[in-house]
Amino acid sequence: MALSAQSVNVRFGGVRAVTDVSLRLDQGEILGLVGPNGAGKTTLVNVLSGFQRPAEGDVQIDGQSVRAQPPHWFPANGVVRTFQSVRLFMGLTVSENIEAALTVAGYSRRSARAKAGDLLDYLGLAERRDTIASALNYSDERRVGIARALALNPRFLLMDEPAAGMNAAEVDELGVLIHAIRKDFGCGVLVIEHNMRLISDLCERLHVIVQGATLAVGAPEDIWGLPEFRSAYLGATS
Amino acid sequence: MDLLAKSSPNRIGDRRKRLIPLVSLIVIVVLVGLAASQGAIVMQRRVILALIYLVAVVGLYIFVGNSGVLSFASSAFMAIGAYTTAIVTMAPNMKSTFLPDLPAFLAIQHMPPLAGIMLGGFMAALIAAVIGAPLMRLSGISAGIATLSLMVIVYIVFGNWDSVTGGQRSLMGLVGYVKLPQATLFAIGAIVIAFIYQESRGALMLRASREDPVAAAASGIRITRHRWIAFVLSAFVTGIAGALFAHLQGTVRIESFYLSLTFLLLAMLIVGGSQSLAGAVMGALALSLLGEILRQLERGVPILQFDLKIPGGLGDIVMALCLLLILMFRPLGLAGGRELTFSRNRTSGDNG
Ligand SMILES: Nc1ncnc2c1ncn2[C@@H]1O[C@H](COP(=O)(O)OP(=O)(O)OP(=O)(O)O)[C@@H](O)[C@H]1O
Ligand SMILES: [Mg+2]
Repeated sequence: MALSAQSVNVRFGGVRAVTDVSLRLDQGEILGLVGPNGAGKTTLVNVLSGFQRPAEGDVQIDGQSVRAQPPHWFPANGVVRTFQSVRLFMGLTVSENIEAALTVAGYSRRSARAKAGDLLDYLGLAERRDTIASALNYSDERRVGIARALALNPRFLLMDEPAAGMNAAEVDELGVLIHAIRKDFGCGVLVIEHNMRLISDLCERLHVIVQGATLAVGAPEDIWGLPEFRSAYLGATS
Repeated sequence: MDLLAKSSPNRIGDRRKRLIPLVSLIVIVVLVGLAASQGAIVMQRRVILALIYLVAVVGLYIFVGNSGVLSFASSAFMAIGAYTTAIVTMAPNMKSTFLPDLPAFLAIQHMPPLAGIMLGGFMAALIAAVIGAPLMRLSGISAGIATLSLMVIVYIVFGNWDSVTGGQRSLMGLVGYVKLPQATLFAIGAIVIAFIYQESRGALMLRASREDPVAAAASGIRITRHRWIAFVLSAFVTGIAGALFAHLQGTVRIESFYLSLTFLLLAMLIVGGSQSLAGAVMGALALSLLGEILRQLERGVPILQFDLKIPGGLGDIVMALCLLLILMFRPLGLAGGRELTFSRNRTSGDNG
């Protein structure tokens, strides 16, 4: 049970955004994808979720190639991603945001409304249910984004900077939530994150990319010790 | 996982509450119909026309409102509906005069108006189904432009297809079937269809894609498919509006189905608010009323001993000004994207 990228290359014109990266996400694990700004993390998630077809290389679920599938195919087959910029359905209510995903998963309108209520309870958003999404504060907005992803019952959940813009307390809550999601949904979680405290709290494994290429894969404590990691990471962010 | 298995109990009255927007709109339309039935024949005709516009705007709303993609194809679908019913309902001897070269299987048809009207809707839906398949793959503005081309193509084809449409000549002698009761019933029918559709799963997915197509795809929504469904249903209702129009006028001319009609319907939808059914209905009624007032003023209205009269053409300018003001100050239209719920603030939550 794994989602994987194999020797993936992505180019935008002359820019090599991803170079020969192979990455594996097992069901049930939490994997951290880290690297400086512009390293190619989002591009890699786009590849894994069907939004970006790699120039070379393959994407596989349980060994089956899925690189030719359109984006909407992936959620139906267990691969769900969130966005760095959240991208809620801004004009719809919080509940409708979740219901839209649930109806895709086969729920009727009526049962979707009930299930959306359960999911919002789970994320502590019950009283936001009928709020228009554009009126949410930043941290609630991010949590609704997660609720919408969970509505699709993921086997593999790809989260693009879920803690961006959150304060320390909110980041702690998010850490608890992601642990709970892994346990309750039994899914593999890939987290792109710059917050090293959150990363070391969450992840069994880290995959480091720098300038589009894999620098290292391993346990967080091993990665922290690597001089290449320190120089690349601290050198490239300013 | 078990999280997704349990579900909270349904709230009593939830279902009835969901019907309030539908019932309010039906009540409004019935009241308009009843009020008009007390008026003079000329006034009744204006109200019938307003109700037919309402059917067309509701048809336009089904696609534009839910998908967020602009469509200029309304007058094309109305033309298809109008010509379809003309061809199948006109008396065969009339047809031999106006359309001597009509293929025999059409020439012998003499259907009742109601059948012709429904067939008009189905023909429009059929054309939309075929053309919509490639069209719905386009995004945003390209799709809008493509519907504009569709309108132009239908206009040119119908204006030159002498054997079937009579080309530039008018078709005359259609049964004047559409009276106030029929117009009211069709308006209600259109509203019911649009409401049932917007409560469907597909329409919710489509509205999600309207808000953010990328996030919609990431949620597994098949945008093209749901756009296509809305487009076809929209064409059906709009085609019926065209057929009703034909059976109000008694004649069909291709000139009636061009830019000015499409723009009028779009203006109605935008003024009312394209993101709710209430907006579509209110826009159609409000602009019809405004148009009527301006028309009267252009002809001159005696007030006391004065004759209040505005210069001809000013009416159109006022109409355009209204559209501009709405776009500037109330971009979501009169209805503001909401349905008529008569409840408190939508953001305040309804389950304490
Ligand atoms: N659609 C695109 N067209 C052209 N270049 C792109 C595109 N998307 C990304 N890039 C480039 O590819 C590289 C990788 O971008 P990517 O967004 O994947 O980085 P990232 O690791 O997610 O960065 P951040 O931490 O800032 O989110 C960058 O140089 C970026 O400018
Ligand atoms: Mg990124």
